[in-house]
Amino acid sequence: MSTEGVLAVFADPAPAARAVVALRAAGHSDVRAAMPAPFPELVRALDRPRSALDSITLSGALIGVGCGFALCIGTALAWPLVTGGKPIVSIPPFVIIAFELAVLIGALVNLATLAVLGGRGRRRREVPGDPRFSGDRIGVFVAAAGTGAEAAEALFREHGAEEVRRVG
Amino acid sequence: MSVAEAFARIQRTVQATQRRPGAGHIALLVVAAAAIVAGGWAWSLQISVGMRVSGLNRPVSWAVYITNFVFWVGIAHSGTLLSAVLFLFRARHRTAVFRVAEAMTVFGVMTAGLFPIIHLGRPWLAYWLFPYPNQRHLWVNFRSPLMWDVFAVSTYFIVSSIFLVVGIVPDAAALRDASRGWRRRLYAFFAFGWRGTDEEWRHYSRAYLYFAAFATPLVFSVHSVVSWDFAVSILPGWHSTIFPPYFVAGAIFSGMAMVITLLVPLRRALHLEDLVTRDHLDMLARIVLLTSLIVTYSYILEFVLALRGGPSAERRTLLYRAAGDYAPLFWTMIACNSAAPLLLFFRRVRFTPAALLVISLLINVGMWLERFIIIVTGLAHDRIPWSWHLYKPRLVEAAITVGSFGWFFFWFLVFVRLLPAVSIAEMKEAVVEERHVD
Repeated sequence: MSTEGVLAVFADPAPAARAVVALRAAGHSDVRAAMPAPFPELVRALDRPRSALDSITLSGALIGVGCGFALCIGTALAWPLVTGGKPIVSIPPFVIIAFELAVLIGALVNLATLAVLGGRGRRRREVPGDPRFSGDRIGVFVAAAGTGAEAAEALFREHGAEEVRRVG
Repeated sequence: MSVAEAFARIQRTVQATQRRPGAGHIALLVVAAAAIVAGGWAWSLQISVGMRVSGLNRPVSWAVYITNFVFWVGIAHSGTLLSAVLFLFRARHRTAVFRVAEAMTVFGVMTAGLFPIIHLGRPWLAYWLFPYPNQRHLWVNFRSPLMWDVFAVSTYFIVSSIFLVVGIVPDAAALRDASRGWRRRLYAFFAFGWRGTDEEWRHYSRAYLYFAAFATPLVFSVHSVVSWDFAVSILPGWHSTIFPPYFVAGAIFSGMAMVITLLVPLRRALHLEDLVTRDHLDMLARIVLLTSLIVTYSYILEFVLALRGGPSAERRTLLYRAAGDYAPLFWTMIACNSAAPLLLFFRRVRFTPAALLVISLLINVGMWLERFIIIVTGLAHDRIPWSWHLYKPRLVEAAITVGSFGWFFFWFLVFVRLLPAVSIAEMKEAVVEERHVD
C-alpha cells in the first residue's frame, strides 16, 4: 500500500481518534495509526475488521484435541498393557492429555499466526517510522496526494495535531 | 499532567530500572549463584553415589524433592492468575504487578521441572517420560497421573513463557527506541520488529486475549493434575476428592505470597513506588486473605471427613499429622497459613509493606511445610504399622532445596535488570482508561 500522504503527531489519543473519524467522514479510506498502546477510542475510530486469527487459533486447539486422543489411543493399542483393571482404551484419563495438547497446540498456532499476520500487516499498512510512536506520541497517517493531502493537513491541524508533515 | 507527560513518566520510571545493577543487586546475584553451585554439587554427589545419600527409603520414597516440585509449581500459579484470569476480568489493579508475577511463573516452573528429574535418581533417563517411537515398541502409560503431570507441566511452561515473551514485545519496542548499545540490540531482539501500527495491535490484542483464554484453564488444571498424583492413589491422607480445589487454592495462596515477597523489596530497590502503589499491594493481600480462608477450610474439612464414621487408616494418618512425630511442623504450618494471614483483615496491615513482607514470608514457609506434611506423613504412617518409618531430610536434599531457591532468584534478579518488570504499554493504556473513568 502507498506510503505517500500526510503524517500527524498527536500527544493524546482522544484528538487523534477524532481526527481519524473526521478523515474517514471526509472520504479518506486509507487512514493508519501507530501508537504505544491499543487505545480503545482510536482503535474504534479506525474501524478495522476483526483479526482472522480467531478461526485459525480455534482450528489449532481442535487439532490439539484430536492429536491428544490419537496419541493416547494409538499408544495404548500399540502396547496393550492392562493397568489397574482399566480398559485398554480408557477415555476419561485421555481427556486430560487431549485438553493439555489443545492448549499447547492452540497457543503455538496462535503465536505463529500472530507472527505471520502481524508481520504482514506491518508491511501492508506501513506508518512512517518515528521512535516517539512507541513512547509518548501517537502517529496518524493518511494516504493522500494533491488537494486531498492539503485537506487532510488542515483537518489534522483543526483537531490539535502537534506536528503535521507530508511524507513519501 | 497531560497524557503525553504521563506516558513519558511511566517510560522514564521503567527505563530507570534497566540501569547498571548496584552493589546490593550484584551481592544477591552472587548469593543466588553460590546456592546454585551448592545445589549442583549436592546433585552431582547424589548422581555419583546414588539415592542412598538422600533420606529417601521405603516406605517414604517421595519426600523433599516432590515437596519442592509441588511447592514451585504452586508458586508458579499466581502469575497466570494475575496475568490471564484477571486480564479476562479486566481487573485494573493487575496492570502494575502482573509482569513480575508472570516472570515468577516461568522461573517457578523452570525450578519445579528440575525436581522430577532430580528425584528420578538416574536423570539421564528422564526422556523415558515422553512418548517416542522406540525399537522395543514400549509406550508411556497415559492412564498414570505421572504422565498427566509431564504433559500438564510442560504445557504450562511453554504457554507461560510464550505469554511472558509476547507481553514484553511492545515494551521492548518502547525501550529499544529509547536505548543505545547492547541494550538496544537486546530490546530489538525481544521487540521482533514491532512498530506499534494499528494493524499489529489488531492482531496482537486478539492473540493476547487467546493466550489469556488458553492460560486460564491451565491455572486450574495444572495443580489439579499435580494433586491427582496423590489423590488417585489409595494412600490414607492422599486419597481425597477435595485435593484438586484444595491444591489450586493453596497454589494461588502461596503464589500470591511469593509475588508480595518479591514486589515489596523490588518496588523499593527499583524505585517503582509510583507505579506499584500500596493499593496494588492491598489488592494482592486481599487475594492472599481469601485463599488463606479457603485453605484453612480445606484443612478443617480434611479432618472432619476423616473423623466422621468409624476408626480408619485415614483418621489415624490425620491424627498422626496433628499429634505425631511431625506435629511441630504441622502446627507451624497452621500458624503460618491459617493464623498469620488473619492479620490481613486489618487495613493498616495491608497498607504496610514491611508487615506484608513478614506475613508473605511466613506463608512461603507454611506452604512449603504443607506440601512436606501431606507427602511425608501419608507415606511414613500408612495402613501397615510395621512399615511405619520416620523420615528426616539429609544434607544433600537440603542443599538441593537451597540450590533451587538460588536458581529461582538468580533468574529473577537477571530478569528485572534486563527486561521491564512493569508493563509499559498496559500502564499507558490504563492512564487513558482512568481519564475516561474520571
